[in-house]
Parts: sequence; structure tokens; C-alpha cells
Amino acid sequence: MSGSNMLKGLPGLIDTFNEGLGRAVSWLSLLMVLVTVTIVVLRYVFDLGWIWLQESVTYMHASLFLVGAAYTLKHEGHVRVDIFYQRFSPRGRAWIDLFGTLGLLLPVCLFILSVSWDYVAQSWSLHEGSREAGGLDGVYLLKSLILVMAVLLLLQGLSLVLRCLERLFGATSPADSGETS
Amino acid sequence: MAEFLPLLLFLCVCLVLLMGYPVAFSLGGTALVFAWLGELGGYFDDAFLQALPNRLYGIMTNETLIAVPLFVFMGIMLERSRVAENLLDTMASLFGSLRGGLGISVTLVGMLLAASTGIVGATVVTMGLLSLPTMLKRNYDPALSCGVICAAGTLGQIIPPSIILVLLGDVLSAAYQQAQLDMGIFSPDTVSVGDLFVGAMLPGLMLVALYLAYIILVALVKPQQVPAIPKEARGAPGELGKKVLKVLVPPLLLIVAVLGWGNSI
Repeated sequence: MSGSNMLKGLPGLIDTFNEGLGRAVSWLSLLMVLVTVTIVVLRYVFDLGWIWLQESVTYMHASLFLVGAAYTLKHEGHVRVDIFYQRFSPRGRAWIDLFGTLGLLLPVCLFILSVSWDYVAQSWSLHEGSREAGGLDGVYLLKSLILVMAVLLLLQGLSLVLRCLERLFGATSPADSGETS
Repeated sequence: MAEFLPLLLFLCVCLVLLMGYPVAFSLGGTALVFAWLGELGGYFDDAFLQALPNRLYGIMTNETLIAVPLFVFMGIMLERSRVAENLLDTMASLFGSLRGGLGISVTLVGMLLAASTGIVGATVVTMGLLSLPTMLKRNYDPALSCGVICAAGTLGQIIPPSIILVLLGDVLSAAYQQAQLDMGIFSPDTVSVGDLFVGAMLPGLMLVALYLAYIILVALVKPQQVPAIPKEARGAPGELGKKVLKVLVPPLLLIVAVLGWGNSI
């Protein structure tokens, strides 16, 4: 019984987590604008420029879209071809989301995790820094974002699956939904 | 069998996309399934899949793509600051006395917004929300009103700076260099996003001109579809000149700044 209760609470927990992270990284977009303006002014007015400052924009951009991917999934923000989807009943949409997440999203995330693991681990073992002199020394952290994206999407996908099951089989006894998940 | 796999992949992708699951994961998931199938049948080399992390890292550090969130930011600022709304209001009172004037102002505002932001969705929604009720109130033909709004709203795709062109520019520049290398040219020319912006300018403006020509034609042939705003609903003419200047300056400045920048990269 406690197991199914935990499963009920899990989507909410994941959603809150990704919501918070998404909101936090959204500020990076404003910071990106400000830093880019600073770079342009420094370069064209004062003839100054630092590679680390320029790389920081790349880091912010990567963090923004990699961490934001799961947030976007939560907010239904990923582009769909909704010619038919918008005409389906709520149950029909839940079926599509269920099969899509199980058959497409989760395998892709698991695959990215497994194939990127060694790649990132190698970068960590080298403590890999920028190829440019004067660049940021956190390339291993930047590469780790690939794994972060996969894990966050995996979690959000799990939340989506549980919610779809709830919507499809919510009327039946809680033991049933425990079995299917 | 092996030669049919790509065809089958293409058909499957189309089918999966039509089901309505998010495009990004549909493409990735279907490709992954086919890669596994190909590997099982011995048609596909696992080494290609091992290159994935490096490709992902390439996208993360791609400097051209940084422009995309920046343009989205600009578009949202223009929308939230009601620049679009004021533009439309002023344009409508400027051209309202003409038959088809509202349609002309929607097209022109669409062009200005497109030239200053480059995101499509938000522009269409904003314009639809703002101008459709006004046009219907003035007895515009509903079908024509919607058509004008959608056509003007999607100008963001072609008129620079458009995000589509930024994304295309990234793909095109790589393909162009590869093509030249294949032809034996070892100091290849580059094609930049700025080049694409310049190239898209004339076709974009032609499109605007054709939209305007169509509205004028409708106004001449079927005037009842695009009636003029009656005199009493318009503002005083003296105020209008000042207002036009005030709302036109910010987007025009943006356009000049962005296109100047576009040419320098």
C-alpha cells in the first residue's frame, strides 16, 4: 500500500523539482543578454576581450537548453505536429503520451546516458579544460550537462508516464495502477 | 533489405510525427530503433552511435545557435512591452480611412515585427488577439481577416533576422564548405548567417508587396469585404503624426541595429 502511495506522490515531486530548476536556469537568458552586450561594448568600444567571458555565454546557453528540456516537457512546450493530436480525446492523448514516452523518450534518454557515460568520465579523469588559452577550465562540467539533461528528462518522462496511467486507469483500484507501473 | 531501411525509416518517422508526440523525441526515438534494427541485421555500424556524445557537445558549444535564445528574448520583450500593440493602433488610425486600410496596417505591422524579432508563433498570436476583433467589428470578411493575420504573422520566418535563417545558416555553412572541399577547393568560401539575412531581404519585401497588392485588389474588386473605418471613429489628424513617429522609432532602430550586426558577423 505504501508503495502505491509513493508512486502517487512521485510525479508531483518530480514536477516540483524540474519546475524549480527550470525557473532557476531561466534567469540565465537574461544574464546571457547582459553578458553578450558587455562583450560587444568591450570589443568595439574599448578593444578589449576575454576568452573566458565569451565562453561563459556558451556555458550559460548550454545550461539553459539542456536543463530547460525537462521543464519544457513539463510545460508541454516541445513542438508537436498536432494535426490529429488536438482532435483526439483526453484518453487518446494520454495513450499517445504513454506510448511515446515509453517507446521514444525513455529509450533515447537511457541511450544518451549509457553512450555518454564514458565520454564524460574520461573528461572528468583528465579534468578537461578549455582548448583556448585563457578559457574556462570547466569543460568536464560542461560535458556533464549531457548526463544531467538525460537524467532530468528521464525523471520528467517517468512523471508523465505515471500521470498518463493515472488518467487512463485512475478509476480502477490503486493496486492495479501499482501493477502496471 | 538494407536499401529499403532508409525508406522505411522515413515513412515511420512521418507516421510517428503525425501521432503528435513531441518532434524532438519522435525523431530521436525512431532513429534509435532503426539503428538497433540495422545493427541486428548487420547493415549499420555501432561506431556511428558512439559518436553521439561528441555531436551533442558540438551543438552545446555552437556559437551561431546562441543567437536563438537572444532573439526569443527580444521578441518576448517587444510583446510584453506592448510595442506591437501600439504599432497596430497607430497604423490602424493612419490607414483606417482607406478601404482595406486595416488589412494594410496589419501586414505592415507584421513586417515590422518580423524585422525586429524573428519568432513566428508569438507574432501571430499577438496580431490575432489584437487585430481580429477590430477587423470583425469593422465588418471585414472573417476569412480574409484571418488570412491577412496569418500571412503577416508568418513573415517572421523569412524577413531577417529570423531564427529559421539562423538555424539554416548553421547547417548551410557546413554543407557549403563540404561541397567545396569535395570539388577540390581547399580554401572554401564561407556563407554566414549575415549573408542569408541579406539574401532573404528582397524576397521577404516582395512577399510583403504582394500581400499589400492583394489587399488593394480586394478593396477595388470587392469593397464590401474590406470597408473603411468611418470618420467619427478616427483620432484627430494633428496628434497622429507625432504618434506615428513615437511608435515607429523603436522598431526601426532595432532593425537597423540588427541588420548592421548581421552584416558584420
